[in-house]
Amino acid sequence: MPEQTEEITLLETLDHLLDRGVVIAGEATISIGDVDLLYLGLNIVLANIDAVIRTSQK
Amino acid sequence: MKSVVIGIHLNREDVEPVAESMKVSDVFASVVGVADDRPLGDRDLLLEIAAIRGRLLDKATFIAVRYGFTVRDENELAIKCSGLTARWRELLVAHRDEVEMTLKAAAAAAPPARPDRHDFPSGAAYLRALHDATQTIHVDPEFRVGIERTLVPIATQHRWIHRDTHSVELAMLVGRRNLDAIRDAGEKLRRDFANAPFLLSGPWPLEVFANDHHE
Repeated sequence: MPEQTEEITLLETLDHLLDRGVVIAGEATISIGDVDLLYLGLNIVLANIDAVIRTSQK
Repeated sequence: MKSVVIGIHLNREDVEPVAESMKVSDVFASVVGVADDRPLGDRDLLLEIAAIRGRLLDKATFIAVRYGFTVRDENELAIKCSGLTARWRELLVAHRDEVEMTLKAAAAAAPPARPDRHDFPSGAAYLRALHDATQTIHVDPEFRVGIERTLVPIATQHRWIHRDTHSVELAMLVGRRNLDAIRDAGEKLRRDFANAPFLLSGPWPLEVFANDHHE
């Protein structure tokens, strides 16, 4: 159980880091190794598709 | 060297020595220097930034900046944050003694079928349908009443948020002095609704309540 709790805490922490907070205009590319995973454009930062929709409605 | 921006703070001493600070108008950004050839998706970097975020919140409440925003120097930061800092300062002063807590609850019913992108004439129509699908998700009404009787009265503000098709979230702004009360209320909720899975997490910096977007 403690390991499970630790995993949940880590996932929740990363979820908040990656998908919460104010979005500032800018751009960057997130990549792992040589593969670009996400292009972060104007007002769309590290967003999954649902977050993209929410952002586009602001 | 680029600087990853973690948050916006009222005072320089709210940032240092946990992170480096950059002045932007009359507030301060917390930043961490990252080598240009190190990708932002680096696992260790993510964990490092998450840990720094936690230590910064221990010092004082701040506005979280979504991960991925980088600048070269204070000039670039000033240009990109132009027009935002006055509002940030207002929020930081108003919520100096508050933090956010989040309750994530599983949806009461099976999620609706995800829209098929081939059924829509345009990408925009598909995205709208996908968004609408998330808005139909609700928690069990009794459980929701339980939440609103136990947790919500302790919070100074709260918002229900639909983020995906599997869960609903309640974001709460809570006085730091009330964190134990919120956790106790969470335990009571767990006892009263043993079959309703939920996750109460926090404290977090100002994330939901730093945005003007109300749901």
